[in-house]
Amino acid sequence: MQELAVLIKWEVQIFILALVGLIAIKLLTGEINTDGLLFGRISGRPTKNNQNQYFSPERVQLLFFTIAAGFYYLQLVLNNPSSGTLPDIPQILPVTVGGSNAIYLAGKAYARWLGSSANKNK
Amino acid sequence: MYILTLAAGSAQQTDGSREILKLVAGYLFCGIAGIAGIIVLWKMANGEINLSRLVSEPNGDASMSRFQFLVFTFVIALSLFFVIFATNGFPVIPGTVLSLLGISSSSYLVSKGIQFSDPNGVQDRAVEVMITPAQATLHVGQTQQFKAEVPRKPDAALKWEVIHGYGKIDPARGLYTADLTQGPAAGAGAPPTPQFPLHATIQVTADEDPELVDLAVVTISA
Repeated sequence: MQELAVLIKWEVQIFILALVGLIAIKLLTGEINTDGLLFGRISGRPTKNNQNQYFSPERVQLLFFTIAAGFYYLQLVLNNPSSGTLPDIPQILPVTVGGSNAIYLAGKAYARWLGSSANKNK
Repeated sequence: MYILTLAAGSAQQTDGSREILKLVAGYLFCGIAGIAGIIVLWKMANGEINLSRLVSEPNGDASMSRFQFLVFTFVIALSLFFVIFATNGFPVIPGTVLSLLGISSSSYLVSKGIQFSDPNGVQDRAVEVMITPAQATLHVGQTQQFKAEVPRKPDAALKWEVIHGYGKIDPARGLYTADLTQGPAAGAGAPPTPQFPLHATIQVTADEDPELVDLAVVTISA
């Protein structure tokens, strides 16, 4: 039974690692579409030739905080993997990530509703 | 006494058989799961399972919420992998880690709600061709290289032509020359006394779809 448990553990771990590696490679080579990741769209403007697209600082900050939070947590885990538990994270991290998401959603809502109103007033 | 011994022996044999059965079933399940995993990974690698829109919205744009969800899911999966590998046991997941996933999920849901409130957010964007530069100013005899992009069909074959005014353009490469003896307006030759500035309209069309068209304007000066 012990050998079976080891086999299951290795199977799951290899699968997760292979999946993460595959998706990372496809993201870096462009096979997974990331067009417009840092651009928002303003409702009410013509869509031809991406005229309604704008460079979105709120997406940039969300990307930065997402990657920073991810790396921070991974380094916490790698510094002490033998503790038997996933490391707890400081309260400031969920607050920061939550705030970053709030800014992103506010920008998205503005582009959707107020951007549309601004266009009508022109 | 003899019967009791027989019964005990029989029970032990049954337990032993049950253990062997469990082991065989376990290895069989592992084998099937392993083969299924390899098949899924192989299909993802060669494109049969299409991951191109993994982080895209229905309209084709990449979504930051989906990307964040992907990043956090894999960070936690990798963390579990490292801890299980080190300790051989399933770890306790702190509430703060779950709250991080919860924030990402909620943000994704709200983002989806905002997106779906706009019809353009749920329809796949039409395939378009975009010509650059859209305008150019040249002297007689000068050349301008035009480029066209079809973001949703990068391999689309394109055809270039001058549909109005003066000049000629390579139909395959998009290299325009401000030649007053060429073009729809040239007719019998270059105008004897050109009234500058003159103009030319360049059109690019996708071979597979004649409705995919974009235009550029060239202003020709002396």
